[in-house]
Amino acid sequence: MNWLQNISITCFAASYAVVFFLEISRVFFDVSFRKYVRVGFAAAGLFAHTVFLILQGKLVLGSTGLWLGSWFGWCLATAWILALAYIWISARQPKSVIGLFLVPLILGLIGLGVGFGHENQFSPMRAKSIWNMVHGSALLLGTAIVALGFVFGVVYVVQSRRLKHKSPQSRHFRLPSLEWLQKSSEYSLIISTFLLAIGLVSGIAINWTNPADDTLSSGRIIAWSNPVIWSSGILFSWLLIVSVFNFCYQPSRQGRKVAYLVIASFLFLVLELAIVWWVGHATSDSNPDVAQRIEIQSVSEELHSVAGRLKI
Amino acid sequence: MNLQVIGCSHHQSSVATREQLAFTQQQIKPFLNNYYSKFPNSEVVLLSTCNRTEFYTVANKPNSVPGKSELIEFIAEQRGIAATDINSEIFIHQDRQAVEHLFSVASSLDSMVVGEAQILSQVKQAYKLAVETNQTAALIHRVFQSAIRVARRISNETEIHTNRVSVPSVAIGVLAKQIFERLDNKKILILGAGEMAEETLRYAIHEGGKDFTIINRSIENAKQLAAKFDGRVGDWAELEKELAAADLVISATGATKAVVNSDQFDRVEEMRKQKPIFILDLAVPRDFEQSISDRLNVYLYTLDDLQKECERNRQSRQSHYPKAQKIIDHEADQFFNEIQRRSSGSTIAQLKRQADNAKQLELDRLMNRLEGVSEKQKSEIEQSFNRLVNKILHPPLKSLQTESPQVSGGLLEALKKLFQLGD
Repeated sequence: MNWLQNISITCFAASYAVVFFLEISRVFFDVSFRKYVRVGFAAAGLFAHTVFLILQGKLVLGSTGLWLGSWFGWCLATAWILALAYIWISARQPKSVIGLFLVPLILGLIGLGVGFGHENQFSPMRAKSIWNMVHGSALLLGTAIVALGFVFGVVYVVQSRRLKHKSPQSRHFRLPSLEWLQKSSEYSLIISTFLLAIGLVSGIAINWTNPADDTLSSGRIIAWSNPVIWSSGILFSWLLIVSVFNFCYQPSRQGRKVAYLVIASFLFLVLELAIVWWVGHATSDSNPDVAQRIEIQSVSEELHSVAGRLKI
Repeated sequence: MNLQVIGCSHHQSSVATREQLAFTQQQIKPFLNNYYSKFPNSEVVLLSTCNRTEFYTVANKPNSVPGKSELIEFIAEQRGIAATDINSEIFIHQDRQAVEHLFSVASSLDSMVVGEAQILSQVKQAYKLAVETNQTAALIHRVFQSAIRVARRISNETEIHTNRVSVPSVAIGVLAKQIFERLDNKKILILGAGEMAEETLRYAIHEGGKDFTIINRSIENAKQLAAKFDGRVGDWAELEKELAAADLVISATGATKAVVNSDQFDRVEEMRKQKPIFILDLAVPRDFEQSISDRLNVYLYTLDDLQKECERNRQSRQSHYPKAQKIIDHEADQFFNEIQRRSSGSTIAQLKRQADNAKQLELDRLMNRLEGVSEKQKSEIEQSFNRLVNKILHPPLKSLQTESPQVSGGLLEALKKLFQLGD
C-alpha cells in the first residue's frame, strides 16, 4: 500500500477543481453522463483526502484521542466534511447547481490550510485529554456546519431574489426550492449552535481543570481576558440568541430572515477563527514555556527510543 | 412495403370535420373489425385524438391497401356521413412521407402544442388496439415500434419536451416547485371556481396537493368543484383568515376589481408571521393589488408573468425543432434501409438457392457420365462449379447491397423478373 503514501494535496485538490469546472460547465450545456463523472471525481477526491488526512495530516484516533496536528490539518478536515456534504447534496438535489457555491469553499479551505497552516502546529500536549478531543472535534464539526449553512443561506438569497424579480429559471442553472434551503439553513443553525456550545463548554472545562505543570501565572492555560475566550463567548452568545429567537419568534425562522442569520453567523465565525489564529490559540506559540517543555520532552522521548533500539 | 396514412388534423381540417371523424376508444375495435372484413389483405391502425383522426394502412404487396377515395367512402359509411362532406379536408401521405408523418406525430412535432407528452401514449394505445384486433400484424409492429423508438430518442436527445407551455403547468409544475419542496403538506386556497381555477387545481393535485379550500362568491359552484376533487368549501367572509393559513393561493375569480387590496393584506401579513406565500393571480383584471408583491416572503405571479414564461418555453421548444427533424430524417432512412435489407435478403437467398439447385443438377449429371474419377478430382470439379456460381452472382449481389434504397429497389424488382423469383 505504498502508493497511498504518495497521495498529495494536489491529488484531491485537483479532483475538487475538476468537480468545480464540471459544475461551471452545467450552467452552459447539458451532457447526460456528466453527473456520474462529477460525483465520481468528488468521491475520488474524498477518498484521496481521507487517506491524506490519516497518513499525512496527523489525524490520529489513538489512546490519546483525536489529534489534528495543526491549523493545516484543521482546515483540511473542515474541507473534508464539506466535501462529504457535497456528495450528500448531489444525491439529494441532483439537478441543482448548489455545488457552484459549495466547492469554492472547499477549495478555499484547502488553500487556506496550505497557505497559512503549516507554521502553527497544535500542541501535542492538548491531545492528551478527552476534553481536548471533544473541544477540537465539536469546534471542527460546528465550523463545517456553519460554513454549510452559509452556502444554504447564500443560495436562498439568490433563489429568492430571482423569484421575487420573476427572472426566468435557466434549465442549466437550477437551485433547490426555497423550502428545502430554509429548512437546511435552520437545521445547520441549530446543529452548529449545539456543537459550538459543546466546544465552548469543553474549552472552559479544560481551562478550569488544567493540570498544574503547564499553567500560566494566573493558574489557567489561557487567561480569561484572552481574545479567544471573549470572541468565542460572543460567537456562542450570538448563535444561542439567534437559535432561541428562532425558536420563540416565528417570523425570524421564515424565508429570507433565516438565510440572513446563517450568513451573519458564518461571518462571525470567520472573525472568531481569525482571532484564534492570530493569537496562536492551541499552538505551542501561544505559551513559550510550554513549547520549551514540549521540545525537551520530545527530545528526551527520542533519546529513550534510540537507547531502546540500541539496547543500552 | 406499402404504407399510407389518410386522415384529418388541426393543420388542415375544421373542428366540425374532426368531430365527425373522431372515434371513442369503444368505437375503434368495431371499426377495425369492419375494416378487416372489407380489406383483408392489409393491416390498419386508427389513431383518434382531440386534434386528429388518422388511418394508417400497410401491406406487403402493391395495390393491397385501399386507395384514398375507397377508404374515405368506407370511413364515411362507418361514421354515417357523406364522403363529399369530408373529402376536401382529408390528407394522404404515402411510403416515406407516411413514415415521416408517423414519426413526427409520435414525437409530438406535429401536435398543436409542440412537445406535449400525451400524444405518445395515445399512439401506443392506438397501436395496442390494432394489435389486439389483428395479432398477426407484423408490418404494424415494425412501423409503430420504430415510431415509438424515434419519439423516445427525440425526447432524450432534444429539449423539445422539457419546458412546459401552458399557464397552469408552468405555475404549478415549474414555479411552485421552486418555492415548495412538496405540495402534499401545503394548504392550497382556490379563489374562484371557473375553468382556469379547475385546470390549475388539477395540476396541483397531480403534483401531490391534498389539502385545498375553495372560496367563491357563488357557493354552489364552489361546492361542485370541491365535490369533484374532494376539497373543502370556505366562506368568502373568512377570506383573510383563509389567506393567513394558505401556502399556495390560486386566484381566478371573475371579479371586476381586485378582491384583495393592500390594506387587507396588511392584516393577513400580521397573522401569517412572514410565512412565505406563493400567489398565482390568474384573473383578468387582477385579483391581488400589485403592491402586495413587494412584501417580504410574498411571491406573487400574475397571468402576464406566467404567459411570458410560457412564451419563452414555446420559443425554446421551437429552437429544438430542426434537431428533432434531423433525427426523424435519419431514422426514416434507417427504417427504409432496414426494410430494403430484409426484402433484398430474402431475394438474395432465393437467388442463391436457385443457382445452387441448378449447379447441383448439372454436377450430378456430369458425375454420372464420368467414369474412373477419383474423390480428389470430384472435389476439384465441385469446387470449380462453386467458384463459377459465385463469380456469376457476385456482381449483381454487390450492386444490390451497395446501391441506395431507391436504386436497389428497382434492381431488386429487375432481379426478381429476370431470374423469375417469387415475392
